[in-house]
Amino acid sequence: MDIIQLIHSNLLTPVILFFLFGIIAARIKSDLKIPDAISEFLPIYLLAAIGLHGGIEMRNTGFENMFIPMLVAIVLSLLFTLNHYQILRRLGKFNIFDSYALASTYGAVGAVTFSVGLSFLKNQGVTSEGYLAAVLAILEPVAFILAIFLTNMAVSKQIRAKKQSFTKDTVSDLGMEIEETKTKLSQVLHESITGKAIVILLGSIVIGYVIGESGFGSIKIVFDEMFTGAIVIFMIEMGIIAGQRLDDIKKVGVFLTAFAVIMPTFNGIIGVLVATAIGLSLGGAVMFGLLLASASFIAAPAVLRHTIPQANPSLYITSALGITFPYNIIVLLPIMFTISTFAHNTEGSIDLFHYVMKDLM
Amino acid sequence: MKLYTVKLLTITCEILAQKNIIEILKKHEITGYTTYEVDGNGARGVRGQGFKNEKNVKVEVIMRDEKLQGVVEEISRTLFANFAVVLYVSDVSVVRIEKF
Repeated sequence: MDIIQLIHSNLLTPVILFFLFGIIAARIKSDLKIPDAISEFLPIYLLAAIGLHGGIEMRNTGFENMFIPMLVAIVLSLLFTLNHYQILRRLGKFNIFDSYALASTYGAVGAVTFSVGLSFLKNQGVTSEGYLAAVLAILEPVAFILAIFLTNMAVSKQIRAKKQSFTKDTVSDLGMEIEETKTKLSQVLHESITGKAIVILLGSIVIGYVIGESGFGSIKIVFDEMFTGAIVIFMIEMGIIAGQRLDDIKKVGVFLTAFAVIMPTFNGIIGVLVATAIGLSLGGAVMFGLLLASASFIAAPAVLRHTIPQANPSLYITSALGITFPYNIIVLLPIMFTISTFAHNTEGSIDLFHYVMKDLM
Repeated sequence: MKLYTVKLLTITCEILAQKNIIEILKKHEITGYTTYEVDGNGARGVRGQGFKNEKNVKVEVIMRDEKLQGVVEEISRTLFANFAVVLYVSDVSVVRIEKF
């Protein structure tokens, strides 16, 4: 009953209530709307606050201990993306483009979800490792790069197969196509690394590291005390957009709806257990799980529309924002918190991890 | 004052296709264009609500007749299938033909 209670009390926090309020506002067709400039500004603000905190913590704790969690996160993110693809393609019968787009959307991380997770932990009076902000920055492009790479491979293979069935002597033409694919990939790499989310996040981590606790004092009121309040405002906007998309969920279909709930649960729980096994704290394991559970809905469309334009954007935006995001912040966070608490209280937390892994094999 | 007739190409498309269009223009050596954000309704439903990435944009380009075919052909071939795009061409008159 512990989990139910925790979900219940989580439901009554301002962050969640304002999200639900936004959905209702959209459903009754209210003209309520957060001005464009503010809803564009808030993600930047949230990332700056996350980065500053991360940087300050890293100054206190040093960053030698962040490499293993980071590496593990990257490996898990890649494995999960491949796993999503297989499930979507084979069980869901989605076409190759939709499968890769969805696989990477769910392999990528959601910065908004991450912020909500931080405020959830704050409510519970638990802290998390600061270097997770750096993990967030590193994970952001990883799943996309993999999916784009694999899509390009698949497409050039198709082109090659088609060409072979027509004529035998178009090798130079083919070389050009492959060359084009390569430049596209490096362009994507450049664009996703210089994208605003990563730049502001990394910039703030560095600045946080440089200024430390003492320098933070003068800006604390903006970047610490206003953090949850800012999330609340942003959640109104998220609620409105999610509410406007509720009708689209019917179009998403039963399979993807189930996928949008089951996959994050699976990824998140694995994340929590792995993080516990490699020695992250109670709160850190929850955030680590949340990183792997979350789906990207702000960065994903911008990247995927350019790189996999054949994929249907309403599929990945609707499932990530309309289903996974509310599920993650309302239900999955308390579940992961309970699991993490359990795993940290049991002496044999490593055994539990092995047990689960054995079960999966 | 003498007026010269040139073509005005107007493209209304989703904001994420804007970059592709501008690249095509560049490829055809057209450097002048005007864009503005718009919203509206069409085959892909009401657009312009929600995320900035889902807004629409209108691109206006004035060009000489000779370039028009190539540009329109390339936009149709590369973007019509996957993006929300509407384009149309009209005749306009300009004073300084050497600018286009």
